[in-house]
Amino acid sequence: MKTLLYAAASAAVLAGLAVPAMAEGDKIREITITTRPQAAQPSEFQFVQIIAQEWRKLGLDVKIDVMPWEQMADLVWYNRDKWDVTAWQMVGRPERSDPDELIYNLYHSSTAPKGYNFLGYSNTDYDAVVEAQRIETDPDVRQKLMKEAQAILAKDQPAMMLVHPKSTFAYDNTVWDSASVVDQGGIGIKNVWTFMGLTPLGDKKDIVLNSSDNIQGINPLWISGSTDSWITELVWDRLMRIGPDGLPQPWAAESVEWNSPTSITVTLRDGMKWHDGKPVTAEDVKFSYEAAMGEEAPMYKPFVGNIETIEIDGNKITFTLKNASAAFLTSSLAKLNLIPKHVWEPVLSDLAGSEDNAESHQEAKPIGSGPFKFSSWATNEEVVLDANKDHWSAPKADRWVLRIVPNTEAALGMLRSGEMNFLSDFPGDPKILVAASEADGDLDVVSTVDIGFRYVAFNNRRPPFNDPAFRVALSTAINRDLIVGAAFKGFAVKSNSVISPALPFWHNEEIVEFETGVDLAKEILEDAGYTLDGGKLHYPDGVQETLSE
Amino acid sequence: MALVQQIGGRLLQLVFVLWAVATILFLMFRLMPGNPLAAYIDVTFTEEQQLALMAKFGLDRPLWEQYFIYLWNLLHGELGDSFFYRQPVFDRLMVLLPNTLILAFGSLIIAYAFGIIAGSYLAWKRGSVGEQVAIPLVLTTRAMPEFWLGMVLLAVFSFWLGWFPAGGMRSPGAEFDSVGALYTSRDFLAHLVLPIATLAIYSQGLPLLLMRSNMLDVMREDFVTMARIKGLSSFTVVVRHAARNALLPVMTSFAIGVGYQIQGNVVVETVFSWPGIGRELVNAVAASDYPLAQGAFLLIAVVFVLMNFIADMLYGLLDPRVSHA
Repeated sequence: MKTLLYAAASAAVLAGLAVPAMAEGDKIREITITTRPQAAQPSEFQFVQIIAQEWRKLGLDVKIDVMPWEQMADLVWYNRDKWDVTAWQMVGRPERSDPDELIYNLYHSSTAPKGYNFLGYSNTDYDAVVEAQRIETDPDVRQKLMKEAQAILAKDQPAMMLVHPKSTFAYDNTVWDSASVVDQGGIGIKNVWTFMGLTPLGDKKDIVLNSSDNIQGINPLWISGSTDSWITELVWDRLMRIGPDGLPQPWAAESVEWNSPTSITVTLRDGMKWHDGKPVTAEDVKFSYEAAMGEEAPMYKPFVGNIETIEIDGNKITFTLKNASAAFLTSSLAKLNLIPKHVWEPVLSDLAGSEDNAESHQEAKPIGSGPFKFSSWATNEEVVLDANKDHWSAPKADRWVLRIVPNTEAALGMLRSGEMNFLSDFPGDPKILVAASEADGDLDVVSTVDIGFRYVAFNNRRPPFNDPAFRVALSTAINRDLIVGAAFKGFAVKSNSVISPALPFWHNEEIVEFETGVDLAKEILEDAGYTLDGGKLHYPDGVQETLSE
Repeated sequence: MALVQQIGGRLLQLVFVLWAVATILFLMFRLMPGNPLAAYIDVTFTEEQQLALMAKFGLDRPLWEQYFIYLWNLLHGELGDSFFYRQPVFDRLMVLLPNTLILAFGSLIIAYAFGIIAGSYLAWKRGSVGEQVAIPLVLTTRAMPEFWLGMVLLAVFSFWLGWFPAGGMRSPGAEFDSVGALYTSRDFLAHLVLPIATLAIYSQGLPLLLMRSNMLDVMREDFVTMARIKGLSSFTVVVRHAARNALLPVMTSFAIGVGYQIQGNVVVETVFSWPGIGRELVNAVAASDYPLAQGAFLLIAVVFVLMNFIADMLYGLLDPRVSHA
């Protein structure tokens, strides 16, 4: 559309005036890439250097602006028209095994003003496809729509996808039976299935693992820090869980059946008990969902927004939905924690009149029904969970002890010396881990391609990034293999889609490989009317630089 | 009566200083680039949630209003709720403060005890070979960065020799009936050794060098010469006459040192995964958690100002020549 306008404009100019043959627009201003500091994000810092270097070869002036996350988030998220290009990342979570959350919220035009479409992409064709996949319940049709959406993004390059990193974890193979470690697709070996399954080989029966982040809260109605979610997943059951294969499977539900595209009946498993000994009832399940639908758990509210009514009949719970939703199993049934009504009902009614909500309510001893029971929490030091031996999927280990270790080197040292036996957080260079494992012989290191990804976002609102051809050219200039090797030391796979190859059913394989190179990028720019003058890139004829200072 | 007035005056000054600190803190965090909501940015973060959080944190109100609410709450001893943890700031800090004070006081007492004795000895043995070796050694320990020293101790005594645990305050999963039981346990002491050694090695240089130079000054004074002429043994002269007089400035530096030590803890707490105020402070600043960062800084300021106050008062008691007029 824009190119058409430019063509029309330049045609008009040509007709009216005698314009020199080498017609050109204004010189493109210096563009700025924002990134986080090397100390905090070494890979990101590195790939931004490489990208800037390649773009300069196209005749662009590129400036790199390094700032801490809080400042970068403030600029990119709250000042949407004030930045050019930024490095960004999405982290993998089990619920993201259904790609709806990523494919819809990241690029649908409705989330551009204030939501996650911070880069301001707007394409009505894309909107239509991602809206259609959302309500399509036939997996094969939905798969086609997902692949189409990915193809549209690949053609438009609203952002330049770089890699899906690998999550790397390690454990002591003299303490735990290697056969009991579960590698969950897109997530890695640090997952609930591993923690339930880990089988001790000797006397050491406590899983001792680490996190570099402090625990924010242990609260089933608050989506707090990512480390906190490791705990909530173990202490509280959900109706379904994302299985090692990335697909939702019944968990606290005996069975899950669709009655129609907008009605689903869940049969609750028999004999479940809360950690205080009381039985888990269908009434508790209904209460758990209604708690999220109310005003006291705002972070869970988006996950139940589609529920019209909940009815119970014996141990059966029927959800009636406002709209058909394919992602309901993953984003609602496998997302919400089941909470005991007898504990939370009085709490929520107290909160109803106050300014606070359930997120500030920290139970002294959290009560769930999950495979692990809460035992103790020492501030910024450790959290201890006991195995719930009465659970129908009781863990083989005795306890789960999460140590807060802000010093990465020390965490590795603790693993090697036996103070810890499961390295669940290692922000350092994975090559160091592999070297340690080769030297010691008693450590197993497992790397898994992540659902999450690293990318560079263009501000689609601002010229020249509002021109798809310009974005495609910039993306074409970057060799992804180089990024994988140089910035991620091989611990990543290259990417051209928000849906990771870790989700093979949804991932569009065809768009991953494409030719890259500075020369090819120059051709694309030339074809789109951009010109080089004195080694500097200029807009197509008639286009003025409106944003230079 | 005059003393009461003096103390009263000093206390008023103290309140003024704390008000100034509180105000600077308030402005500093709000002028700092960054946004407290950055911690919540997520694919599922909706506009309603953003507005609700702003309102919950009181950030939708004008700055002057936030300031007066803040001062009013401070007057009532109310530090507010942490944005990040959603819990009262005061409760969190009170859990972490003892951990930091144990490190700070423990390491300072060791550093000063060692520094005073070694400083006196080196002054006494001035010009000896021992002194020529010791002084550069002390200067070297002064110059070593704390995190480097901590990592070296960790590598040697924990990872290589395996004598001490590598971090935290207790063995994984060790549970105690009370905080007191934890602090008096063998397990806790074993975890305390390396961090306290790091801080003590780092801090012993100041009292040592201070003590030594004071001693050298004092030993030139007439009353010391007099004592020697009286025929007292050189040990008696050094300990009874010179050291007692040289000690005063060192004691002052101890009181002030407590404040500095709490700041210095930031690094050591991170290296040794020690759950103290220093780490809390760094995290709070990084997360733009205004109430928590303000509270932690204010707490450190209170300790600092109080220790200065005590130093002033002590000085008057220890050395009658100093009056508070």
